[in-house]
Amino acid sequence: MADKPSDLVQGTLDMLILKMLALEPMHGYGIAVRLEQMSQGVFRLNAGSLFVAVQRLQRDGLIRGEWKATENSRRAKYYALTEQGRKRLNGEIREWGRQVAAIARILETS
Amino acid sequence: MSILRSIAGGLRSLFRKEQVSKELNEELNGFLEMAAEEKMKQGMSRKDALRAVRLERGSLEVTMEVVRAAGWESFLETCWQDLRFAARILRKTPGFTTVAVLTLAVGIGANAAIFSYIDAWFIKPLPYPQPGRLVIFETQDKKHGWTSGGVTSAADFFDFQKQNTSFEQTVAWGGASLNLTGDGLPELVDGGRVSWNFFDTLGAKPILGRTFTAEDDRSGAPHVAILSQGLWQGRYAGDPQIIGRNIAIGGEAYTVVGVMPGTFQLPLMGIANLWTPLPLTDMERADRGNVWLPAFGRLKRGVTLEQARAETATFFAHLEKEFPKTNTNLTWLVSSMTDRIRREEGGPEVMICFVVVGLVLLIACANVANLMLARATTRAREFAVRGALGATRRRLAGQLLTESLLLFLVGGLASLLFASWGMRWIESQIPGHIRGYIVNYGHVELDFSMLMFTLGITLLCGLVFGFAPAFENSRLDANHTLKETSGQTSGSKRGARLRRIFVAAEIALAVVVLISATLLVKSFIISVRSSPGYNPANVLVAQLALPKTKYTEDSQLRNFSDEVLSRIRVLPGAASTSVASHVPFGGFGQGVEFQVAGKPLQPGERQGAPLTAVSADYFSTMQIGLVKGRFFDSSDAYGISPSIIISQTMARQVLSGEDPIGKKLRLGEQHSVGTIVGIVNDIKMYYLRERPGWHIYVPLAQFPSRTFGFVLRSSGDPTIMATAIRDAIWAVDRDQPISSVEPLENLIAVVSSGDRVVADLMVFFSVLAMFLGAIGIYGVMAHLVLQRIHEIGIRMALGASPAHVMRMILSQGLKLGLGGVGAGMIAALGATRLLATQLYQVTPTDPLTFISVPLLFAIVALAACYVPAWRGMRVDPMVALRCE
Repeated sequence: MADKPSDLVQGTLDMLILKMLALEPMHGYGIAVRLEQMSQGVFRLNAGSLFVAVQRLQRDGLIRGEWKATENSRRAKYYALTEQGRKRLNGEIREWGRQVAAIARILETS
Repeated sequence: MSILRSIAGGLRSLFRKEQVSKELNEELNGFLEMAAEEKMKQGMSRKDALRAVRLERGSLEVTMEVVRAAGWESFLETCWQDLRFAARILRKTPGFTTVAVLTLAVGIGANAAIFSYIDAWFIKPLPYPQPGRLVIFETQDKKHGWTSGGVTSAADFFDFQKQNTSFEQTVAWGGASLNLTGDGLPELVDGGRVSWNFFDTLGAKPILGRTFTAEDDRSGAPHVAILSQGLWQGRYAGDPQIIGRNIAIGGEAYTVVGVMPGTFQLPLMGIANLWTPLPLTDMERADRGNVWLPAFGRLKRGVTLEQARAETATFFAHLEKEFPKTNTNLTWLVSSMTDRIRREEGGPEVMICFVVVGLVLLIACANVANLMLARATTRAREFAVRGALGATRRRLAGQLLTESLLLFLVGGLASLLFASWGMRWIESQIPGHIRGYIVNYGHVELDFSMLMFTLGITLLCGLVFGFAPAFENSRLDANHTLKETSGQTSGSKRGARLRRIFVAAEIALAVVVLISATLLVKSFIISVRSSPGYNPANVLVAQLALPKTKYTEDSQLRNFSDEVLSRIRVLPGAASTSVASHVPFGGFGQGVEFQVAGKPLQPGERQGAPLTAVSADYFSTMQIGLVKGRFFDSSDAYGISPSIIISQTMARQVLSGEDPIGKKLRLGEQHSVGTIVGIVNDIKMYYLRERPGWHIYVPLAQFPSRTFGFVLRSSGDPTIMATAIRDAIWAVDRDQPISSVEPLENLIAVVSSGDRVVADLMVFFSVLAMFLGAIGIYGVMAHLVLQRIHEIGIRMALGASPAHVMRMILSQGLKLGLGGVGAGMIAALGATRLLATQLYQVTPTDPLTFISVPLLFAIVALAACYVPAWRGMRVDPMVALRCE
């Protein structure tokens, strides 16, 4: 179902996850839920896409994972942005803004 | 930085598989649980919630797989798994594996062997330091375009040596046969007389003692010599005191000052075991008219070939003005030594071999690919099941590609063994004294570049030819395949067509190989069988050279040859004897410049021909035919105006139309004018594939020679006369070394040995190609019958006769075979054009070859189809219909 996130370019998904974690450290399910909420249902991640992206971000050193206890005293791995991740996020947001503006300009003229 | 981290992450995954897996499992479980809890809050039961979550977010197992596959380490794991599986599969079918590996070993091995020769002769640089700076000087006539063949005049060389600025060193040398006496039987040793800086310029270092110095080159300096390692260990038994020891060369005492390593070789000089300084008299040094001295030099650092050429051009322009009589139109051609040596190596022959083995490799690969395709269809079920279980097409194709790569790699390894056998065989076929002229002889072996080449070819062929089965099998429709009742599928139509295309292509290539090989072998056989102008059967030749120091007078030379001849003449078994200054295929000859009286040459124009001085009965001993006039006889004695006999082609081309008998020729500068008294048939002097050329004969009595070839035609086997000839010579002079006593047929065989090797290789490859092609057809036909067994059963049940079935199968096979043969013939028509230069009296479109080879192939194809067709014919329809 709702495989939309796999239509997202890999880089865009990474950027969104980083943004989620910039707000506060979260575990995997939390990221998925928050993303769905903030996108008003447009982006619904399935487990595969989410955790592949998380593994990638982890391996690139942009986020750091830590096992902690949840509110329901269950064990879950919480992820937080690293310094490098923060820098990358800012860079990506800037770049995204540039691209969006350019596309908008092009679409306006035609 | 992130790459390192990524690698670290991957490595952790590889080596801590359990822990990583457990963690991931826990995390995913937690994820799904939390999602389910959400759903339960909305009122679903736990079971329904879990199920809904699995549908929405993905199941645990699949997600685990997806995440695991995302890391780079999973690719490695997959490869490793595939490799192990491939190895197991290959072990399980030993028959297929052996056949495929052997086929590949032969195909790749042949290519590797030929490549190593190409590498040693044409790619690797010469074995001297900075060989790019070594150049060769030779005199060239600018106006008439002829070059002297690698030599220059002494005066020109020494003047240039003194005055040039482009060269660090310049060296003159000459090959020589040196008489060694004392310390054993008299022996004629091949060697060289060289400038003192010969070894230093080439950068060769001795293993004992020293090289020559400028002191050794002064006139009047004590005689010194340098031995080769082989000579030192042979004749002098590795004497540890060899340095300083005196040896006798040509009757004079020489002190040994150094020993060169066995690996040292100048290919232009051939095999050389002994070197002395170049003993030129002042008169010889000043001689500008005779062009005979080989020379080379080493450019100074930073000086280019163009700059050197400019300097020589200016220098020789200057010489032209100063010495118009000898140097008009002359200049030096300065060429790279590497290029010159490579040009002598027989490039065309080697390239032909390379192309042929390339084609054979393609045929071998096509065979193996067919084998793999056939095997793949029997495993179709296996792949269908795997596909149904979720294997991606990429994964399946990867598996098959790994299998074929593994197969090819094993074949590649085996090919190294085969290659070294092949190379050893080739080297054993090249006779001793020719080896010296071959660059890096004895050092052509398995080395890095050859291994790289083998690996490269193996991988390339493995990928290209493994692709087809991989592509094919990953495409099978799982549903359809699983429903098939037989374990083997009817195979996708595309797969069968691919195999037929492969086989047709194989046959076409094999036809091309066979036709080319047949043309080359035919050419070789013709060149060997064609009459060389004389009858070499039962002829024994003894060659020697009289030393200048002992035989100073012409009368001594004449007496020697007369005495030996008189002794040989009375030997029992000697049907006819004579002597000449040079014999055909003796390995060397002499030329002379001539002018036809009454037809003066333009200034600077030169005209020359090979010259042989012969005894009166030479022509009858050799059985050379007389065309006009007469042979020499006793009237052509010493002191009278010389008689001359010329060859037929020379008569035709030099004295076109006129009657040559009675015409006068002036020979050389010093010789007097002679009269032509006869014309004889053309003879082959140096190569079997020679075009007929000019030749001048003069009586030995009037032109005494220092070199002799005593020719003896025996009534029976000539080899039994060898000892007798030796004894006769030694009876006249005990210390005279004899360079060789060999049947003339052997001398010819030695020179044509290169051609013989190529011809043998061609035979081998064509047999191989045909064999592989036959196997290819057989394989395809057998498989075809197997696939159609069901259909055959039905047909027979419906009333078709066995003969009908056989005809059906045979016709299909024949169509395939003829298609391939036809394509091959057309390709060959184009390809053989490239062979034209190598063929002797055989046209590239020789009709006999172009008819017989395809016919042979058609028969072979028919035979290969026969067995499967026969099997098909004998099918019991009841069995076939029930066949699972």
